[in-house]
Amino acid sequence: MSNSSDQVEDRPKRARIELLVRQADGDSFQVREVQSARAYLESRPQRIPDQDCELAQLPSGLGGDRTFVLKNRRTEDYLLVTEQEKFLWEKMDGHASLQEIGTAYVLHYGAFDFDIIPTLIAKLRRAELLTMRPASRLREVLARNRRNPAARAVEATLHALERLTVGSRKAHDVFARIYRYGAFLLFTPVAVLLLAILVVLGARGAVNLWHESGEVTAGLAKHPLIAILLVKLCFWLTVVTHQIMHALSCVHVKRRVREFGFTMLHGFIPTFYVDVTDVFMANRRARIMNALAGPLVHLFLASVCLWTASLAGPGLVKGFLAASAILQLQSFFVSLYPFCFLEMDGYHIVADLLGMPTLAHDSVHFVWNELGSRIRGGLRLNRQEVAYVAYFFLSVLSIAAFVLLNAWVLIHAFVSA
Amino acid sequence: MPTRPDLAFVRKIPLFKDVDESTLNALWPCLRERRLRRGEVLFRAGDPGDELFLIYSGSIVVSKLVTGRVEQVLRRMESGETFGEMSLFGDEQTRSATIQADTDVVLLGLHRDNLNQFIESNPRDAAKFFLEMIRIAFKRLRDTSELVAEVTRWGLEATGLDVEHR
Repeated sequence: MSNSSDQVEDRPKRARIELLVRQADGDSFQVREVQSARAYLESRPQRIPDQDCELAQLPSGLGGDRTFVLKNRRTEDYLLVTEQEKFLWEKMDGHASLQEIGTAYVLHYGAFDFDIIPTLIAKLRRAELLTMRPASRLREVLARNRRNPAARAVEATLHALERLTVGSRKAHDVFARIYRYGAFLLFTPVAVLLLAILVVLGARGAVNLWHESGEVTAGLAKHPLIAILLVKLCFWLTVVTHQIMHALSCVHVKRRVREFGFTMLHGFIPTFYVDVTDVFMANRRARIMNALAGPLVHLFLASVCLWTASLAGPGLVKGFLAASAILQLQSFFVSLYPFCFLEMDGYHIVADLLGMPTLAHDSVHFVWNELGSRIRGGLRLNRQEVAYVAYFFLSVLSIAAFVLLNAWVLIHAFVSA
Repeated sequence: MPTRPDLAFVRKIPLFKDVDESTLNALWPCLRERRLRRGEVLFRAGDPGDELFLIYSGSIVVSKLVTGRVEQVLRRMESGETFGEMSLFGDEQTRSATIQADTDVVLLGLHRDNLNQFIESNPRDAAKFFLEMIRIAFKRLRDTSELVAEVTRWGLEATGLDVEHR
């Protein structure tokens, strides 16, 4: 059994070097042993010049915590920082040593977290905060099992597929031009009114289709393969529209579209992506509008499909339009549904409204590591922790309900067949 | 320095531990004594060198200039150890590091000409001498590798650089 003293012995000793410092006369010297820890404390980190960075405040969270986004204008990297980290960042002027910065922190906050400075420095150094390159669990598992030829082969294939990523960092100018030449109309009250009218027409079409469900299924059943391929292909193409709308709304709020492209998500899901991280530097209204812009494409397309399907005569076209409408509606709700651990558009809106940008991660961490001990200790949860618990359990319930619903649909289909 | 050969001392030196006693007796008069006071520099990196030194008593510090008046301590050497071989047998005939006395030191210097004479006239002893020299070179190479690793670790810890998660 190990005890704390064993653990101290197990810990690798701090590295040390010996330096010989010659006196000014050159005839004598001193040998000084310098520990790496001492050197670290005496280092004087310097933040990049003010003109190269930008700081924006996010809305306060439920716990009253303020969060900020730090942007490196030169590299266009973004960093989410807490109020405490912002305090430290502002002290990193190249004159104050880490020891002095730590002392200032203690005097200001009355306590010290020994991990905060190294963690912040690592974050500041890493700089690249949001990458469009997926790092999946699958890749981690494959990397751990490289001795296995099959795992190596799968990894090589995934790597080759990932290299299919095509992206442009100059996409902003294209989107700005599209916006200037007419896309700005999408962000006017007239566009909202037209969408509302289409939704009403679509709803009416849905009611009509409900009574004509036999025609819809018959149309699809006649050409099942063509119907499935057509619906899937059209749906896949609407994903581009979803991303384009995010990009255009980013331009609309006068922020920069960092990248637009095509990639193989997790190595095997072909998808388009747009990097609109710069919208975090705008206000909350702009961020929520940006998050809504993508899903509204699906609502628009679903309405059009439902309306036109209700007008079409029996056959493949009617079936195709009705099936597409269902897929578009599903995408609309999935994109906006926040409680599923996936950080989709709806999640971003909720996280923004709550002022908790890392809600999904923090809620899992809290429930997994702290909730049990808090309950056993009889301690009451604060508002922020209640939000963590609520998010976690709503997400678990939602996933369970989704799985059960699909299982029920499959069983029902088999029984009917 | 004693006028009679101090064979007990010479046998302590790895380079000469297997050399015949008669050869050592012949070599002893060729050794030139140098005394250094604490802090005194024997030579600096880049100086020309034509002597191998045996530390008779005291200790020295081997260092390499880093910046300004600051030097990295490479190693400390004590009585029975030798230094200066690199400028005698290496590809450059200049000193690779700076040597200064850590305490009052007595050194015995063996000039390149005397060493060459010893090698030419005693090929069997010369072979033993070079075998030991290779062992010493390998040990120093290993020590240097460890020092490089330690200095790298020091750099990572001192700067807080998180390489694993980059």
